Amino acid sequence: MAPSRALTRLTLLRRAPSSALRRYHSYDHPAPAGIFNASEQAILSAAYKHVPEHGFTQHALSLGARDAGYLDISTNVVPEGPFSLIRYHLVTQREALAPRREAIFSKDANAATTVPARVERLTWERLLGNRDVNHRWQEALAIMAQPSHVPASFHELALLADEIHFLAGDTSVDPSWYTKRGGLSVIYASSELFMTNDRSPGFGDTRAFLQRRLAEGGSLSNAVGGVTQWLGFTASAGVNVLRSKGVRI
Amino acid sequence: MAARPVLRAAVRTARNQPLASTYSSNSRCIATKPRNFCTSTQFLRPGTTSPGSNNGSPRTTHFGFQDGLSESEKTDRVAGVFHSVADSYDRMNDLMSFGWHRIWKDHFVSSLNPGYSSSIPPAPQRVLDVAGGTGDIAFRMLHQSHVVNANPNIHITISDINPSMLAVGKQRSLSLPAAQQATLSFLEADATQLPSTILPNSLDLYTVAFGIRNFANIPAALAEAYRVLKPGGVFACLEFSKVRNPVFDAIYKRWSFSAIPLIGQLVAGDRDSYQYLVESIERFPSQDEFRGLIEDAGFVVGGDGFEDLTNGIAAIHKGMKPLQ
Repeated sequence: MAPSRALTRLTLLRRAPSSALRRYHSYDHPAPAGIFNASEQAILSAAYKHVPEHGFTQHALSLGARDAGYLDISTNVVPEGPFSLIRYHLVTQREALAPRREAIFSKDANAATTVPARVERLTWERLLGNRDVNHRWQEALAIMAQPSHVPASFHELALLADEIHFLAGDTSVDPSWYTKRGGLSVIYASSELFMTNDRSPGFGDTRAFLQRRLAEGGSLSNAVGGVTQWLGFTASAGVNVLRSKGVRI
Repeated sequence: MAARPVLRAAVRTARNQPLASTYSSNSRCIATKPRNFCTSTQFLRPGTTSPGSNNGSPRTTHFGFQDGLSESEKTDRVAGVFHSVADSYDRMNDLMSFGWHRIWKDHFVSSLNPGYSSSIPPAPQRVLDVAGGTGDIAFRMLHQSHVVNANPNIHITISDINPSMLAVGKQRSLSLPAAQQATLSFLEADATQLPSTILPNSLDLYTVAFGIRNFANIPAALAEAYRVLKPGGVFACLEFSKVRNPVFDAIYKRWSFSAIPLIGQLVAGDRDSYQYLVESIERFPSQDEFRGLIEDAGFVVGGDGFEDLTNGIAAIHKGMKPLQ
């Protein structure tokens, strides 16, 4: 028993730092290592340069492996093939938001003072991250929609919505934490889809689309909040009226 | 009141015969507890129970649930098993896995995608298929490379320690197209000590499907794989593994320990060889442990390092030899 147990423990210890992804933002601890190891990083970053020309394909991966000094067969170290390339795009673009945040908000500080305004600005910044691969993005969405890749795709979307709200300074700790992130996920995904067919200069139509959706989301949440408040008030007032009439509630 | 002794007896019986899945892969606890499946305990060597306890004497390994065999003894016995199953090997695989092993093998080869090359003309590739006697994997790789990827510039060496299995593969290879036969060669070799005809840093791909659990010394075989692969070359292994779902595991264990030796007896007329097969599956390390062994040999693994097939009955492990 002892050797196999010791081996298991050793293996777990060795894997722990790389696989333990933190599910929250921390100011006090350094960020955990990324999901790609050095070899995957080398192949994927080289392959990513071929995406505008060859799309999110095995061909791009293979070209990337050769650029990085590997063999054609070495692409097998990337576990999910083309989907890993898509994931690389999603992860790098999400992680690129944080360093750009200061630059964005110092430039037009007057425009983005409230949390919703900053969410809009950051979401737009993330959409612009798709600029170079936009003409290939429909293929990527098709791959992401394959059943085996759906959970990972939704996970990345959730991480993005959370990252945007965190960077926008959202500090809500009530149920709106979920509705805000859920709402932004839906809006972001539909804007991304809209963008793949957008031919306007500088993707102006997409930005207008995004702003309309966020405004609708805002008014919807206002309406829901108002109705909830009214219902709560009416119910408690009704209880109080009944109590004043002597009903034992 | 009268029912109580009966009840107690029933509880005692149930306690003494737990499900097969509760056994760990460890040999000693399996040897001491009663089991509800049969085993091939023809003889157990006394005194050599722990593999690490005997310093100085030859390294010991295990054969199914039997411990304390020397590595050469295991090699001989495995040779005996595969010598006796060689002719009925494919028919038995179909019966044991309901034909599903073909799907695993197809997936294994298409995910490896040998012969794929982004350069024009396609770059040549050299592949070694270890323990590939009957050619199941090698023929699929030939098809993937020649037909799917239009790259005839691939050379596949089928290596097996067992001449009987190689003979089956040679016979079957005669039905392949001539162009594919020309890129195929056969080699009788021990995977833990490859011959000098396979040069170091010479291979693009090293595959072993349903073979590595029979090796007398798995770390030595991995070290050999590392030695002969080019930097950037890939080690890929398809092997039975551990089912994580306990309910499915119980059903699977029941099937493998009860039905498979029986089918072996009825179809191939050889119960002991198939008893060994299921015991060796039970003894093989779990996905995480085997990934640890691959990493210890110096390979780099991506992501989880393995892919479960059919709930973990089998698993694909891949490792890449890093650039210097």
